[in-house]
Amino acid sequence: MAAEEQKPTFLGQHRFLILIILAVFITGLLTVISMSMYISSGAAQLDLSRPGYRAVQDQVDRENRAVQNYSAVGPVNEESINEFKELYDEQLKRAKAVEAFGGDPLSPKSLGIDAAN
Amino acid sequence: MNIKLKLAVIIPLIALVASVGVLGVSSAQSNEMNQEHMEKIRKNCLQSKNSLSQLHRSDALLRVNRGQLYESISTKLMSRFNSRVSSAGHNSSNLSTITRDYAQELDQFREDYIAYEEQLSSAESINCTKQPVAFYDAVVGAHEKRQTVRDTVAGLNQMLDDYRRELLRFETSLLKEDN
Repeated sequence: MAAEEQKPTFLGQHRFLILIILAVFITGLLTVISMSMYISSGAAQLDLSRPGYRAVQDQVDRENRAVQNYSAVGPVNEESINEFKELYDEQLKRAKAVEAFGGDPLSPKSLGIDAAN
Repeated sequence: MNIKLKLAVIIPLIALVASVGVLGVSSAQSNEMNQEHMEKIRKNCLQSKNSLSQLHRSDALLRVNRGQLYESISTKLMSRFNSRVSSAGHNSSNLSTITRDYAQELDQFREDYIAYEEQLSSAESINCTKQPVAFYDAVVGAHEKRQTVRDTVAGLNQMLDDYRRELLRFETSLLKEDN
């Protein structure tokens, strides 16, 4: 007599469905992990492609990326120090050009929510 | 009753009464805001929310620009100059110390900004018409955290000046050695 046909197991019967459920679960898990890393690392605060920030995205200062690398090797003499001073002073001037996070735009008075009438 | 047993009952009771008292005081402080003040917050709710939103955007841009600039100065200039000085056999310990402190302050700037941004987001998410007290408290918190960011930026600028001064000192001593 021919070998008895084996009854398919539950796993064998639903393997495609199980595969899809597992794939969705793993995708969800990886999304949660990556989102928590995105938020906790501070990358979220730097991401100007978020909704509502696109308007300022084109105002990112491209000059920062163009800051010239000073050579880490070579002689140290008056000429090389002057070359460094020139590069450094240029960036120092940019750093001090505007008082960053200055003013008081968040004070209750500025927002019109202070206690005074 | 045993004294130890009495103490075991009395001390938790005192702690409970004290904590209720503290809660009562803080609750009373929150309730200190009078009706008139709350009405003012409700009245200017939309306007202040718009201001917060605009500030959030402009500060995000400022954070990106400042962060890149300060990072560039550290990695592309200061560290490289220190390496050059050190590999040429000169003493660069003072310059290196300032650079290390600067890097720590830069990390502090990143952390302070995250704390500020989270507080500002929290203030933005509060419904100021329904919860004027919570909104006011959140704004005050964000205001303080923004001032912390400003102080850290001032500290970074101070360190850039310190490095510049130390550079001059180094140059002077080097030229003296050469002559």
